[in-house]
Amino acid sequence: MSFAQQATAISSIQIIVSEVDAPVGQLKNAKFHVDLKGAQPKLILNADLKPMSEKAFAHFDLKCGQFFTEKIGQAQCLNGQFKSKQISAPFSVIFVSYPSEFALDIDFNGANFSDEAGLHAGEKLTGQIKMAAKKPISTDTWAWNGLISWTAGELYWQPFYFGKADNAFEIDGTFKQDIINVQQASLLVNEVGKMQATATINIKTKIVEDVKVNAKDVDFTGLYALFLKPMAEKSAFGNMNVSGKADWQFEIKNLAPTSFELNLHDATIEDKNGKFGFSHINAHIPWDYDEPKQLQLAYESGHLLKIGLRQTNLTAEINRFSLTAPKLDLPVLDGALSLSDVSAVRLGDNWAWHLRMNLVPITLNEFSKALGWPEMKGQISGQIPLVTYANKQLNMDGAMNFNAFNGSISMNDLIIDDPLGVAPRLYADLKMRNLDLGDLTRTFSFGAIEGKLDGVVKDMVLENWKPVQLDASIQTSKGRHLKKISQRAVENITALGGEGTAVALQRTFLRFFKEFNYEKIGLSCKLRQDICEMGGVESTPNGYIIVKGKGIPAVNVNGYTQKVSLRDLLGRVKRITDSNTKVIVN
Amino acid sequence: MKKLITVFSLLIATLLSSNWVSAAANLDVNTPAITAIKNSMQARHNQLNPHYNTGAVGFTADGLVAVRDATAVPLKDRGGINSLVAAENSDRSALYKEIAAGNGHPEWAGEIRSTFAGRWVDKAQSGWYYQNAGTWVKK
Repeated sequence: MSFAQQATAISSIQIIVSEVDAPVGQLKNAKFHVDLKGAQPKLILNADLKPMSEKAFAHFDLKCGQFFTEKIGQAQCLNGQFKSKQISAPFSVIFVSYPSEFALDIDFNGANFSDEAGLHAGEKLTGQIKMAAKKPISTDTWAWNGLISWTAGELYWQPFYFGKADNAFEIDGTFKQDIINVQQASLLVNEVGKMQATATINIKTKIVEDVKVNAKDVDFTGLYALFLKPMAEKSAFGNMNVSGKADWQFEIKNLAPTSFELNLHDATIEDKNGKFGFSHINAHIPWDYDEPKQLQLAYESGHLLKIGLRQTNLTAEINRFSLTAPKLDLPVLDGALSLSDVSAVRLGDNWAWHLRMNLVPITLNEFSKALGWPEMKGQISGQIPLVTYANKQLNMDGAMNFNAFNGSISMNDLIIDDPLGVAPRLYADLKMRNLDLGDLTRTFSFGAIEGKLDGVVKDMVLENWKPVQLDASIQTSKGRHLKKISQRAVENITALGGEGTAVALQRTFLRFFKEFNYEKIGLSCKLRQDICEMGGVESTPNGYIIVKGKGIPAVNVNGYTQKVSLRDLLGRVKRITDSNTKVIVN
Repeated sequence: MKKLITVFSLLIATLLSSNWVSAAANLDVNTPAITAIKNSMQARHNQLNPHYNTGAVGFTADGLVAVRDATAVPLKDRGGINSLVAAENSDRSALYKEIAAGNGHPEWAGEIRSTFAGRWVDKAQSGWYYQNAGTWVKK
């Protein structure tokens, strides 16, 4: 310790302390300098500090532009500046201390701080921290209250980000040997509302052991952005735009969640990738570790993978990590999915579920419109004894039936990998019976063909809803029915195969006929990636027959190209169906 | 005989080495799944780009990305950086798998991944970070 003293009067005091050990931490190389030369005394303190909870010493500089200690037990530091590697804070502080009692009043202005990993950090924070603590002589427990508020700046406290200032946290609590007990905290959070909390924090382990948070009638937008999104980041609900009002409460005891409740009032959620969305949601989503709870969820409308969902009321039981419902009715487009024996279980971060499904008929007209397809007539119906979802894979046992084009299409063994993922993959087999070619060609504006078609599509694989593999064949159904094909349809089918025949047809006498009889029509495609290996009803030495004519005049349409790029083929179909108003042959 | 087997194994090993696979694999193969994944990565690139520029995120030696310095991420993005990186890595792993599958050789995924790891570093702008022998290097 040394005093620098001038001859006439004391102009400055300098204290150098090599090491101080205190229960809260260690201080070393401390240089304490009070400058008495100016009108008001200044204080400078440089030291290395190691709080009890830290491993290494860190250097800091503290300056007080005005430093007062006139009253016993009081210290004031105005125009202060605190600087260390991780903190830079202009501040003023008033400290009042008596035995078993102290009060601290800090104003900070444009303060920056960050821990080493950047998990707790603040930038340009302006606000105040007030704290008062008292310890009755007979006890060893401190009773304290505090206020933290800031009017400017931003704060990140993993995983929560407070982007808007004007937040105020009022806290009452106790402190007894390593344990801070927050008995009552009132948190006013900008863009959310008022929340209440209690907590137990162990300052030795830095672990928040028990927490209870309660928020009534707060803004769902802010609540989601600030508190729910960081916790749902890995789930399907981690990337949404939301609005509405909410009540929220949760409780964590001994580091494990014990209860949770989220009530939504007239809320709207919309996945930012457009995979799903629901509007006017009213929901009561409770959860308790120890007892089963009833979940209620209602929405006025919604959509899932482009398919529209109508007004729905759902109830289900949540029992720890499982959810069950004997029956759930989901109105879809103009029909419904009637689900029964629904059972879901949470395994790690993922859900697995199974259910039975009954399709209350949905008209194909609505369905095709929803998917942006040409409008079709008919309906989809079916009973699926078991649908399961596990490991991001959806499996359907049983058949889904589409009654379309006066015939039927059934879909079997449907599997969808990662339906909500980036590249969903669908596997299925299809069977088609007695499709009315008249309806079909009118729907796709292809040129009239009368007749009926049967078909099979085996081992179909769709990637991101686009076909990459299938073994498909369609041919004229057995039995007696009208089989006529128009001049235009002949031209169009021919055009699908490429240049040649259509032009030839126009130059012959055949152009005087509007329609022809045929014996059979058929086409097959073995698709691997983009290449479709084509076939017809019969093979010829250098190709295959697509339409086999009958009677006089008989027209055969032959295909010569065995391997066609699916992209090119679909391009040609699109050009033909787009030019539906053009009449090629009169 | 034993010597002959050893020579034969060496020959097979040489045939299956990375150069041979890279030469044979078409890295620009296109399937609907690859298109979907590339679109998803393209859409995310605008969010990742500023973090490459600041050095907050860098390229790893195994063809993925990683948070190098969280303190370089603006506070408002700091909470989302881990899931942004996780989503990018999930797409990248899927991409390598799909390119291998698109080549008809799912077992090539590992080789394709390491070829891409080199490509990412080659394509990286100067000032971006990549991992080399376990340490971060500024390009």
